[in-house]
Amino acid sequence: MLRWPALVLLAAVSVAQATDGEYLLNAAGCVACHTAEGGRPLAGGRAFVTPYGTFYSPNITPDRETGIGTWSRAQFVAALKHGTSPDGVAYFPVFPYTSYRLMSDQDAGAIHDHLQSLEPYQQQNREHDLAWWLGRWMMKLWQWWNLDPLVPMPVTKDPMINRGRYLVDALGHCGECHTPRNWSGVMVRQSHYLAGSKQGPDGDAVPNITTDRSNGIGKWDADDLQYFLETGALPNGDYAGGLMTDVIDNSTSKLTAADRKAMAAYLKTVPAVATP
Amino acid sequence: MKTGAIAIAALLSLTSLAHADEPENFIKYRQSMMTAIGGHNGAASQILRGKVAPPGHLAMHANALRDLASDLAALFPEGSDFGETKAKAEIWSDWSGFEKAAGDSKTATAAFAEAVAGGDAGNIEAAFKQVGETCKGCHKTYREKDD
Repeated sequence: MLRWPALVLLAAVSVAQATDGEYLLNAAGCVACHTAEGGRPLAGGRAFVTPYGTFYSPNITPDRETGIGTWSRAQFVAALKHGTSPDGVAYFPVFPYTSYRLMSDQDAGAIHDHLQSLEPYQQQNREHDLAWWLGRWMMKLWQWWNLDPLVPMPVTKDPMINRGRYLVDALGHCGECHTPRNWSGVMVRQSHYLAGSKQGPDGDAVPNITTDRSNGIGKWDADDLQYFLETGALPNGDYAGGLMTDVIDNSTSKLTAADRKAMAAYLKTVPAVATP
Repeated sequence: MKTGAIAIAALLSLTSLAHADEPENFIKYRQSMMTAIGGHNGAASQILRGKVAPPGHLAMHANALRDLASDLAALFPEGSDFGETKAKAEIWSDWSGFEKAAGDSKTATAAFAEAVAGGDAGNIEAAFKQVGETCKGCHKTYREKDD
C-alpha cells in the first residue's frame, strides 16, 4: 500500500521536471534555430549564411537515426556545453556552445530530458555548405585556441541582475548574434560586448543592444525592453524582423514576466559601446 | 492639325496619369502609410503601458489605426516590387496569403477600435495584443529584414 503514494509523488516530480525542461528549452532559444521555415519544430534544416559558408541546423528530435534519440544525458551536456559530439567531433561555433558553456549542468540536463520526451521525427540532416578553405578538423584546434578556461559569471548583490545575466548570456545567448566576431569567428566580448554585428545569421546587420544612446538602446527604459521581449514591438511602433521575430515568438514571449524583467534590468547595466 | 493637337493632348494626359501611378511614387506613399501606422501603434502602446495619459487620445489612435489598416492590400499594386522597398516578392507570388494577412490586420484594428470605444481594460489589452500579432506576422513573412 505504501508504494502508491510514492509512485504518485514520482509522477508529480517527473511532470515538474518536464515542464522545467520545456521552459529552459524556450529560454535557450533552441526552437528558433533548429526549425526550418515552415518545417517541423526542432527537426533542423534552418540555413545560416555566414562568411564561413552556409550552415544548416541539425535535427534534435529524439529520432534514433537522424536525431539525438540515442544520446545519453552526459553526451548531450558535452555537446551543449563543450561543443563535442558523442563521436568526439568538434562542432562549429555556429552552434552557440561558447555561450551555453555558462549554463549549469542541471539546466543542460533538464533540456536533454525534455527533448527526449518529445515525439521523434525522422528528417535527414543537411550537409553544411562550407567555404573552400574550411574543414571540420580545424574546429578541434579552434576550440583549443579559443575556449579560455571558464571564468564563473560575475555575481552582483542584486539577484535579479544575476538572473538576467544568466538568461542573456548563458541561456538566451544574445551575444552570439549581437556581439561582433573577429576574423576567426570568436566573439569580441572584451571590447564590443553586445555592440552589434555587421554579419548576422541572415546575412544582415544585427543591432547594437548596449546602453549607447545613439547606436544602441540607451534611450529605451527597462519597460520598453520588457515589452519588446514580450511582443516584438519597438518603441517607435515598428516590429522586430528576421531571426529576432522567431526569438520573440519561440523564446522570450514564453518566459515569465519576472524573467523578462530580469533580462531588461541586466541589459540596462551593459556598458555603452559604439557599433564597430 | 486639329487631330494632331488632340493626339498630343491625349498623349500628355496619358503621361501625367502614368506619372501619378509610377511605382516609385507608390512605394513612397506606402512607406508613409506604414510610418503613420507605426506611429499610432507606438503611441497607443505608450498609453496602454501607462507611460502617458493624454485624455481622449487612445480612441484617436485606435480609430486612426482602424482607418489606416482598412485596405492594406491596396498599398501593394503589382509592379511596386522593385527599388527602395522591403516588400518581398512573396507578396505577389502568394497574393491570396498576403490578402488574408492584410485582412487580419483590418479585422484586428477594427476590433481594437471597438474595444477602446467599449472601455473595458481587459478587452482593450487583448485586442491591442492581437493588432501587434498581425503586424508582426505579416512583416515576418512579407517584409525584408531591416539593415
